[in-house]
Amino acid sequence: MSSGSDELAFASASRQAALMREKRLSPVELITAYLERIERLDERLRAFITVCGESALVEAKRAESEAARGEWRGPLHGIPFAVKDQLDTAGILTTSGSALLRGHVPTEDSTVVAKLKDAGGILIGKLNLTEFALGGTLRFPYGQPRNPWNDQHDPGGSSSGSGIAAAAALCSITLGEDTGGSVRSPASYCGAVGLRPTWGRVSRHGCFPAAWSMDQVGPLTRTVEDAALVLGLIAGYDEKDPTTSRSAVPDYRAALDAGVKQLRIGVITELVDGADTHAEVRDAVREAARALAGLGARVEDISLPLIPHAGGVFMALCDSEAAGRHQSWLATRPQEYDAGTRRRLVAAGLIPATAVHRAARARALIREQIRHALEKFDLLLAPTSPHPAPPIASHTAPVASKGEAGRRFFGRRSYTTPASLAGVPAISLPCGFTAAALPVGLQLIGRPLAESTVLTAARAWEKTAGLTDRHPPLP
Amino acid sequence: MHDLGPEDVRRLAAALSISLDGEDATEIAHRLNAFLDALGALEGLPLDTVEPWPTSPEGAA
Repeated sequence: MSSGSDELAFASASRQAALMREKRLSPVELITAYLERIERLDERLRAFITVCGESALVEAKRAESEAARGEWRGPLHGIPFAVKDQLDTAGILTTSGSALLRGHVPTEDSTVVAKLKDAGGILIGKLNLTEFALGGTLRFPYGQPRNPWNDQHDPGGSSSGSGIAAAAALCSITLGEDTGGSVRSPASYCGAVGLRPTWGRVSRHGCFPAAWSMDQVGPLTRTVEDAALVLGLIAGYDEKDPTTSRSAVPDYRAALDAGVKQLRIGVITELVDGADTHAEVRDAVREAARALAGLGARVEDISLPLIPHAGGVFMALCDSEAAGRHQSWLATRPQEYDAGTRRRLVAAGLIPATAVHRAARARALIREQIRHALEKFDLLLAPTSPHPAPPIASHTAPVASKGEAGRRFFGRRSYTTPASLAGVPAISLPCGFTAAALPVGLQLIGRPLAESTVLTAARAWEKTAGLTDRHPPLP
Repeated sequence: MHDLGPEDVRRLAAALSISLDGEDATEIAHRLNAFLDALGALEGLPLDTVEPWPTSPEGAA
């Protein structure tokens, strides 16, 4: 592929849509470019479980004819998108990353997929994930997803393919689902933008549940503007999901360039300066905080002492919800699960009910602490992950002790799960690179339904950082 | 509380009609003990001051 078509592939969806309106880019040209990249790169990266090449080309030709007649379906007219294989797609295999659902073909689109199609988007494929969006998969039934910056490293999860496809420019935009960090973690490890909306902002209809009380669908994109574009299209009340908010959906792109001058930002010291935080991550995040202060934000440190409990509390609640969903399959089809998933679910199913109840009360305390902090601050700032993407091999060794289990499964989750437990929006976006050229993610956490503020601050940092043009070293 | 061992885990899982091999039972025991430690550490928090209501979309920040 020429450098010109690489430039096209890495362009934002917002830019691609503008080029289409100007008749300088056609849907067929764009789909063809991405299908060529998928063919060339995805045998190694394994972002996709299913590629819908044939149907995408048919849709692209139709979009091209419509455009020629001046008919535009919406802001995504002719724009290729891909979604985590946890989201139902009518007539297309939807596995949730598990061998148990190897033949599962839904008859209806999930609400978010239907909304992107209504906006003119073209589904180009279904994206790889850790089994049932739970994390900790040892052997991926549809291929080991790999980080585009270094293919020996983890791309993050559970929306692994969404992070890879956004960062490696295998499509224009992607959707993931975030229960405890499953959008933000792959965004951080892969150098993409990943937004977890407020719980209830986006419909979960047609999304295989990981944990009902925290699941939330969100975009993974190459730019903040694209995240704002996608959120504006998928957000809103859905009668098929009674937990969705009836609050009006604002134009998230309208205030993107408002800047941070009036914003108060609290830097969570337990996460930025914690003993588990890698020095290069800490330095990059501190530099971002200084830069935001330089842009006029009022930036102060804040201590949230309950945060270190968040990982364990989240895992007890998430996994016990999931164990309830999976109990009958665990009894009747245990060997069809990946061993890591099976062990995770069975362990959670054995936690005493009184201990789960204790976790539920602790969640309320953590939420109270975060929301109290968000009365003083507009945003909270932290690393998305304590470290850059680890080697894939570091996940696959057997767990040898309870101490190791705690460190491996609870510790790093204390960085992303506070927003999940509190039900508030949070974004991850690139804030630098380590000496080993792995991305570092900055996390901004906002008030309930205040995605506009989160996106505005993220956009201010994105413009200052100037990292959007740095791409993975792909062949 | 004593740590649970693989045999304890096997018996508990059997009550849920789940049978476990040795490797699974050993790792699940480590994971379950980690849960019990993490959740035991919450006992010092003022848990009785809050109700465990689930997240609500409109929030009360």
